[in-house]
Amino acid sequence: MSEASTSYKKQDGKLLVAQNGRTVTWKPNAPSASSLTIATSEITNLQQTPEKSAKVSIKIVVQRIPGTPPENHTFSFTSPTSARAEQASITALLRKHIELARASGGNTPAPAAEDAPRQPAALAIAQAVSAGARAEENMYEDSRLMLNTELQRELLNARPRLFEIFNQALREKPDTITIIQFSTQFWAARVHDLRAYAVEKSQNQGTYNVLSEIKPVNVDGATRLNISKEQIQLIFKQHPMVRKVYNESVPKMNEGDFWSRFFGSRLFKKLKGEKITENDAVDPRLDQYLSFNEDADRTEQFVMAHVPHIIDLEGNEQDHSQRLGNRLDWTMQPSTNEKVPILRVLNTMSEKMLAEVTPTDAADPHAPAGMDEETYKELKLRDLQRGADDNRIMLKISDKKKFFTGNHGTQNSSSTTYAKRSPGKVLSAVREDVRNISDGMSSGRGLNLETAIGTQEDSDSEDDEEGVEKKARVGNKHSRGAATVQIMGAINQRHLHLDDQLLSTTSTAEQAAKVGLTSGVLDTLAMTHNTTVEFLHYFWTVFLSGDADRALEAEKLVETLAKSLERIKAVADTAEKERERKLGEQKKRIEEHLQKTGKRRKFDPNSIKGGSKAVNDMMAPITRAIGSALQQYKQAYEEQRAQMSQLQMML
Amino acid sequence: MNAIDGTDRHIKSTDGPPPSLLTIILDTNPFAWAHLSSILPLSSVVANLLVFINAHLASGNANEVAVIASHNKRTAWLYPTPAPVSAHNTNGDSSSRNGAATHTQNANKYQPFAEVETNLLFNLDNLLKTTTSDDLSTTTTQIAGALSTALSYISKSTIRHSPVDPTLLESHALVIDDGNLTSQRVNLVSRILVLSVSGDLASQYIPVMNAIFAAQRQRIPIDILKLAGDTVLLQQACDATGGIYMAPESPQGLLQYLMMAFLPDATARKWLVLPSAGSVDFRAACFCHRNVVDIGFVCSVCLSIFCSPNLPDSTCLTCSSVLSLGGAITAAPALIPRKKKKRKRVAGDGSTPGGSATPLPGNGTPVHP
Repeated sequence: MSEASTSYKKQDGKLLVAQNGRTVTWKPNAPSASSLTIATSEITNLQQTPEKSAKVSIKIVVQRIPGTPPENHTFSFTSPTSARAEQASITALLRKHIELARASGGNTPAPAAEDAPRQPAALAIAQAVSAGARAEENMYEDSRLMLNTELQRELLNARPRLFEIFNQALREKPDTITIIQFSTQFWAARVHDLRAYAVEKSQNQGTYNVLSEIKPVNVDGATRLNISKEQIQLIFKQHPMVRKVYNESVPKMNEGDFWSRFFGSRLFKKLKGEKITENDAVDPRLDQYLSFNEDADRTEQFVMAHVPHIIDLEGNEQDHSQRLGNRLDWTMQPSTNEKVPILRVLNTMSEKMLAEVTPTDAADPHAPAGMDEETYKELKLRDLQRGADDNRIMLKISDKKKFFTGNHGTQNSSSTTYAKRSPGKVLSAVREDVRNISDGMSSGRGLNLETAIGTQEDSDSEDDEEGVEKKARVGNKHSRGAATVQIMGAINQRHLHLDDQLLSTTSTAEQAAKVGLTSGVLDTLAMTHNTTVEFLHYFWTVFLSGDADRALEAEKLVETLAKSLERIKAVADTAEKERERKLGEQKKRIEEHLQKTGKRRKFDPNSIKGGSKAVNDMMAPITRAIGSALQQYKQAYEEQRAQMSQLQMML
Repeated sequence: MNAIDGTDRHIKSTDGPPPSLLTIILDTNPFAWAHLSSILPLSSVVANLLVFINAHLASGNANEVAVIASHNKRTAWLYPTPAPVSAHNTNGDSSSRNGAATHTQNANKYQPFAEVETNLLFNLDNLLKTTTSDDLSTTTTQIAGALSTALSYISKSTIRHSPVDPTLLESHALVIDDGNLTSQRVNLVSRILVLSVSGDLASQYIPVMNAIFAAQRQRIPIDILKLAGDTVLLQQACDATGGIYMAPESPQGLLQYLMMAFLPDATARKWLVLPSAGSVDFRAACFCHRNVVDIGFVCSVCLSIFCSPNLPDSTCLTCSSVLSLGGAITAAPALIPRKKKKRKRVAGDGSTPGGSATPLPGNGTPVHP
């Protein structure tokens, strides 16, 4: 009952719960007194007197606006016979409505942080779906992802390389840093990975058209048909008529029989949308449903009150532009039913499937009807509009000349050396030089370039004999050779720094061979590099946070960085040992060659690349980075130490 | 026509590499050359340069070259000799141009080579003759002006080579060849080579960067051969435009550097690994003092760079907008652990979280007061 006779403030009256559950009203019997209306959404608390007490009453605590003190309203039930029953029913009703009001009106995502910090992802997803699209952004928020250890663990299992990095860094971390801190730091840099993985996991396959998937299979002469339970469920969901038929037929015939008859019947073909020919088997029991009208359950799909003009097909009927011209295409006419049933069936199937998918434009049902701004913008034909006005910000540049006439601020070394010479002398020197060129030109014949460039082919052999005293002449063979060497060196170095596309196609073994290391050493090197980068990252975060409580962490991290340097050295040593081994092999081969043929091949140790030199070259940048980090730490530490001691002296 | 009468006519379009224009900017700062004269005098550099130009002209029939001298206070054209403003050549004789060199007929020298050589030497001579002591008051060179001149010349040549006339598009400029539309215009590719000997270019930071960005847009690689002087901006030029930067360690092998590293044109460079030096100095110069800065402060409206955050009037010098650092200053690192005061546990205080609950990174609020 939603109505009871109660007394409020010593006045008799009736307590009514509205039909929609939104308001609770108390009307006094005496018309002169005022009535009281309470909105259900404002009720914060509801109390009732226990079963055994003599008085039967309920107390409603209302808070109209958050912030004002709550008001208490007490109603005592005065019905002579059924006070307790009324009280029970009213409280039950009120409780139900209050919960409903809370669920729809509140809509704040329950913050997971205060509850158990390990909220399973499934619960989060369920909340998201029920609370509407707004909560979905919160699910992928950084703080949630950081606390979601299950997700993190799954991601680690899915990516073995990341797992290795994580484990290695975990093993080598200093002991004062707890696992929680370490993993927080680790994941703080990789939140985007977590988010992508979470989104990936939450995708699953949607529904599909079941009837078209079921086909009889010919095995050993007999046709078998495999249908799983899920498929049967889907059939019932997609075609409620089949469920009806099933319910009516199965008590009489058994299941297997029903299904085999169903899949051979005309009804099945009609539901699939295929044309029914005369050759199909006639099944008396099932065929009576052929003419069953499906429109009844289809009307509920047409909920759209207002169809926008741009997709309104029935509106085409009023559009008489083709009356005297070409007739509409026979597939586009809205009334044909039998000619191409497959079109109709497939369309309704798609509609049904889509009805179950969460809609992307699930508009708030309370929003105003009609198109909203976004849809309007999407439907607008943009390229027919005029060009937009220029909306750029104008920069008022004050004095342009200032930029181009630079005042020469710093005097660096070259200008100071040049300033020492007097302009006059300089000019005469250069003019003299240029005159040399003109002198080189024999009259009327132009410059003899061969002598001018100074490359004299036959005189170059003298260079070896002259010894120390050779005057460096422009264009001599030695310098040209040195030039070639420099250019080839630059090309080789460029070639080593492959760009990303090439990098992905060459395997690590090839890359390792190019540098001269084995692939095992290269892998260890890569791993060491990665972990060192992690620790550097961590160090800088702690160092620059300015937080005095993390000072201990910073110290420990400095030790770890020093240990990283040692690790790099260890890898370099391993590489060096390998190189020694290769050298030994090379020597042995030369010896054998000598014994076999009597000829001695030249032994060139430089031809064997690799070893600690290669490792150190490759790790040079990160060694520099560690060095600078350590040095900055030391500097800041000394300063702070000095400040502290000064303060203490003053105290 | 092919479709109508079934004949098979097609017009051969050029298949070879497109013609290439090489623009050389020669830094003629007399101070620097006087300094270098013991190792590498200017005369031999010019001679080697001429051989290089000859090689470039020989690599393709339609290749062109232009040489600009970047002097202390101005830039001058070395080749092609600019036509004087007041020239009215009634007899149209090119060799009687005002001040132009008369190249003699030498049977042993290929005529275009001879022309380049005589003009270049003549103009260089003129340039040095007309330099006064007054001109040498600055010790650096006008590289920005030279780059701008080169870029405008390249732009002019590109248009002259393949004029873009809209009316031509419909008629015979586009040739239909077996159903394929081929245009008869073949575009000119160009590049700039700078032989630089002076340093201290930070004073021209803004105009040089403008020229670099313009070259980047037009896809004109800028190659640099640095014989002396500090690098500051020029490495950035090579890096941004895809050119080659070389600082020769043995400058006497100059010809080898020119021929091996700088001769290949744009088509060949696609297939070669370029011998550019590895690291690039990306430092910028501040707009207020033209000092080279490592870490600077940038106006968020017009992106101009300053060396200190305290500007006069706190306004940006270019766009006059008000700037302030605000909350962007990072806290100083605190490395000494604070003394933790022991607090008496008041009854009913609840359990304070022990030392294990640490704030997330970047949070900064301490656990204990």
